[in-house]
Amino acid sequence: MISLLILSAGIALELILLTRGVQQRLIRRYPAFYSYIGFVLVSDILVYPVHFNKHIYLYFYWFTEFLGLILGCLALLEFYRAALASYPGTARMARALLGILFVAAMIKTVIKTMNVYEWWFYATPVQVEGLLRVCQLLAILLLTVLFLFYSIPFGKNLRGILLGFGLYLSWSVICLAFVAAGVAKAQSLWSYTIPISYVLTLIVWTVHLWSYQPNPVPDRAIPLEQDYLRVAAATQRRLQTARGHLAKAVGS
Amino acid sequence: MISITLAILMCTVAVLSLALLATRGSSVKRELAFRTDVPLYDETTGDPSLCPPEFAARIFSPADWAFVSGERSPEVARLFRHERRVVALVWVHQTKTAIHRIMREHTRVSRQSPDLNLATEAKLLAHYLKLVAICDLLILAIQSAGPSRVGSLATYAASLSQSFADAQHALAITTAARDLRGASTAH
Repeated sequence: MISLLILSAGIALELILLTRGVQQRLIRRYPAFYSYIGFVLVSDILVYPVHFNKHIYLYFYWFTEFLGLILGCLALLEFYRAALASYPGTARMARALLGILFVAAMIKTVIKTMNVYEWWFYATPVQVEGLLRVCQLLAILLLTVLFLFYSIPFGKNLRGILLGFGLYLSWSVICLAFVAAGVAKAQSLWSYTIPISYVLTLIVWTVHLWSYQPNPVPDRAIPLEQDYLRVAAATQRRLQTARGHLAKAVGS
Repeated sequence: MISITLAILMCTVAVLSLALLATRGSSVKRELAFRTDVPLYDETTGDPSLCPPEFAARIFSPADWAFVSGERSPEVARLFRHERRVVALVWVHQTKTAIHRIMREHTRVSRQSPDLNLATEAKLLAHYLKLVAICDLLILAIQSAGPSRVGSLATYAASLSQSFADAQHALAITTAARDLRGASTAH
């Protein structure tokens, strides 16, 4: 009953988000993000009739889970491109750091799996999903730190996308870590928290993507010219002060 | 899969960073407030907001303290200690503010530079973090031991911050020259 309620709330919010996206023409600006939402909406609608047949549900689960993860990564990539389009320096830095992160994750996974015979056979879905979610969360964390460090100005839409993804991934990573450690059991209260966090994420997205908000345009003035302007302003101020002193001296 | 402790730690950092990003307010406003008409760098004296290293050496020098203690007046000695500690703390805070300002100016310029160098950025960041750590250490040391005992560390911090400002300025000039060259070839 609770699951059905959460599912219905999710579907309603996804529909609102997509409708507003079409109305505000946000779909054209963020196609990967809206494809992700559309995909989740379709899978949410299909999951209820499919779950009656266990065999079909197994394939359906893996297909939607991994396609969802890939689309989520594409949405993040789109976010990074849109946010840093006017900042080639920061974009270059982000590419380099994300590359390092990806290589480090690959090396760590290869080393770990090399010691386990037929690891693909023993790896549980929770472990695989958890690993991918951790990589996504690290990528978000890295981007957030870069945005803070380089003071990248954000529009409301992009901020919402990042906040939603960040909060959802954070909660997913915690939950999956608890499940992998055997602390949280399936069909317990824990199993409801990931869908609830997704509904909360949808609320964040709906609020932030209700209407189109352009990203602040960066100032493209050349720094050296700014320095000249500053020097000129400072010289002018000093001249005025000198004139003031001169006037005082002449007056006395 | 990672351990529960690591997951919680990672998620806490992520959520805090996101909260900071959400509550940061308008960066454009911040940037506009930050712009001043004061020149950021003087070719002869370096960064104007940084005191010269000689000044730092003087504040933290034990020579003045030796002179005052030679006067054998506990009241004068107490007053001197208090005043010198305040001046030293003001100097450290001023240096720290200048370092933050230089770094902010650097990130503002470098974020739009198309050929940003990862190694140079990493070196500058390491330099910046080292300086901030030294300044924090100096504040603690001045409050606990007094300025005359941390003279060498203060002089080191002063020269390091001046070289940091010089390096940032050289980098900014190179970036601006490249931008100008790019702009002239585009026209």
